[in-house]
Amino acid sequence: MHPATPPTTDAPVGRAHRTPLPRRRLLRGLLAVTVAAPLMFGAAACGDDGGGAADPNAPVKLSVFWWGGDARAKLTEDALALYTKKHPNVTFEKTWQANQGYFDKLATLTAGGNPPDLFQIDDNYLAEYAARNTTLDLTSYQESGKLDTSKFPESLWKYGVVDGKLAGLAAGENTQGLVYNKTLLTRHNLPEPTTGMTWEQHIAWAEQVTAKTKVPGTQDPSADYKAFWVWLRQQGKDLYKGKELGFTAEDVTKWFDLWKGARDRKATPSADVIHEGNSSDVTKQLVVTGKSATSWVWANQMPDLKKNTKDELGVIAYPGDPSAQWARASMYWSVFKGSKNKDVAVDVINFLNNDVEAVKLLGTDRGLPSNLDLRRVVSDDTTDPAMKQSIAVEAELTQKFGESPQVPIKGHSKVKSELIKAAENAQYGRATPAEAATQFIEACKSAIA
Amino acid sequence: MALTTAPDPTRRGPGSDRAHAQRRGPGRFRHSEGLAGYVFLSPWLIGLMGVTAIPMLLSLYLSFTNYDILTPFSEVEWVGLANYERMFTADPSYWHAVRVTLTFALIAVPLKLGAALGVALLLNRAWRGVGLFRGLFYLPSLLGGSVALAIVWVNMFNRDGAFNSLLSLFGITGKPWVNDPDWALETLMVLAIWQFGAPMVIFLAGLKQVPTELYEAASVDGAGRFRQFRNVTLPMLSPVIFFNLVLETINGFQGFTAAFVLSNGTGGPVDSTLMYTLNLYITGFTDLNMGYASAMAWVFLLAIAVITAIFFSTGRFWVHYSDGEDR
Repeated sequence: MHPATPPTTDAPVGRAHRTPLPRRRLLRGLLAVTVAAPLMFGAAACGDDGGGAADPNAPVKLSVFWWGGDARAKLTEDALALYTKKHPNVTFEKTWQANQGYFDKLATLTAGGNPPDLFQIDDNYLAEYAARNTTLDLTSYQESGKLDTSKFPESLWKYGVVDGKLAGLAAGENTQGLVYNKTLLTRHNLPEPTTGMTWEQHIAWAEQVTAKTKVPGTQDPSADYKAFWVWLRQQGKDLYKGKELGFTAEDVTKWFDLWKGARDRKATPSADVIHEGNSSDVTKQLVVTGKSATSWVWANQMPDLKKNTKDELGVIAYPGDPSAQWARASMYWSVFKGSKNKDVAVDVINFLNNDVEAVKLLGTDRGLPSNLDLRRVVSDDTTDPAMKQSIAVEAELTQKFGESPQVPIKGHSKVKSELIKAAENAQYGRATPAEAATQFIEACKSAIA
Repeated sequence: MALTTAPDPTRRGPGSDRAHAQRRGPGRFRHSEGLAGYVFLSPWLIGLMGVTAIPMLLSLYLSFTNYDILTPFSEVEWVGLANYERMFTADPSYWHAVRVTLTFALIAVPLKLGAALGVALLLNRAWRGVGLFRGLFYLPSLLGGSVALAIVWVNMFNRDGAFNSLLSLFGITGKPWVNDPDWALETLMVLAIWQFGAPMVIFLAGLKQVPTELYEAASVDGAGRFRQFRNVTLPMLSPVIFFNLVLETINGFQGFTAAFVLSNGTGGPVDSTLMYTLNLYITGFTDLNMGYASAMAWVFLLAIAVITAIFFSTGRFWVHYSDGEDR
């Protein structure tokens, strides 16, 4: 209870008797460790730079990392097991987790000098990794035929090219999809929306839905970069042009104004509900939480959405001219440039995309198979009705797809989050569309600088 | 109760041991004992170096570079003070995060301490079952920065959450608290305040230490409850208040988990919950500006050091370390 003596009365005694020598030596030792440790780690990292294994039958352990749910994990593990069956010397160290936090983890693993040999990545980060030379350029493998893209739509594999290098190979194809609640519409005798409606028509339709069903007709997608992107392409603009933005503050203002009009007409939910729906989490999409009749998603997310609602869902293209949409690589497989087993890793990518059994196992979980021949096989085999819908809409759109845009540039993830911030500022009425647009442009410029 | 005053008994240990060794004399003994000491220390020392000191020094270095996580160290470019310049001159969201954090700390910390002291006073009586209540009030702070708790909070305070159902019983239409940029930060404050258990326990311990004869003397002199509280309890408790204030302020500034979970890691809605550490995390790991994030971390460290120093320098005007001489 009485630790009363203050330290000052006692400390000098100790200090007076302290021998300086060991302390100094200790400090010197610590300094040595401090200096040596990074050098050692650095040296270790450099040592890994060897090429492919010389002996094709030498045992290889390949680390693979992806994001996704249980279902994807099961399918992927089965497909990888099949590879091991065919190549008994190759085994896999599999790691997977939810999308949230995936890229933090991937970046940390890379920083720690311990990135996976083979990893899943999407267009939000592909350029970030490619620009920093983290991904292996697959071009030479493609040219030598070790990575077969002959059955791929050209625009699809080209959507993996960053600065002239093939940084990732499409693991599947998807495109923007507007998902709506069929059950709700049928119950109220309302027409279903159709591909090719203009944005104005879509908003008018949504207004009517709100009036009749009391469920807001459409989620306000002004914070959604993929909707903004399609709309921009319909205006003859793009998200990026080279290393610059492909749009101006006027474009953003027009986009925000369009949706301010929709909010004023009660075609959309209130700002806080829109905010909930702005989450990238599938389970929070308003069409499945019943807080709006539509959600703006990727077409291959249909089966996941369907798991979260009892209602029937439908899917069409985003409003406006559908040729603004393109065959997007839903995600890629990339190989770490410093991997010790590059050749094997590339062969695994080739296997996952072009082996009929593997592709059948994987199904359409990562989007439509990239290999067109196998896509037909898988489409015929699919029994999941939600997946059938998603395949149908993509098959229909494939006829109409426009040219692929360039892969989003370095800084894109910041641009995405700044769009959400600016759009929400307008949605909550804290800024006019023009103010929010100016704020967004400013933030983008420093993000991609 | 070593907590009431800064020095703790362990401080005395090494000093007296060393003095002991000194008395025994011969140099070689001293030397080998010193070595043994460091060997015994080594698990802690290696941990300190590997997990704290080296990464910290490294981050100081990185704060002067354009390190982006993905680029190997060997190719990192030295940018001098550019990161610090950007922070102070060209980054509005940085200052926004500073404002959010200050607002949070300035409101949540005093209220939390007030709640802790109030409840501690109530629980400092010999009521039946008071131990149970102490336990119950302490419970929330055991859950600490837990993710599960933050998720519960989000679901309690959204538009159709439990809190609004409660309000609707009284005919009040609630707000979408966590999804409203005007209220999201306040919701986080309530969460922080609710976890007042840890400072409460420390207050309780402090209250137990106030000698009862002081109260007896005060009441003999005719002091009422309030006078007793103001002139006996508060001064006697001031070291504990000081301790809690410093600790909770630092904790308040470092709030991360709840803001991260509530906003899905974005600091939203509209940056209303963009706490300093969350902004730092996003800058480093999402935007991959780790050099800049390191600079933020060092400014943060200095800011906390300055604030703590201010507390210590003003402390001598209101903190009374009286035990020892008094008895």
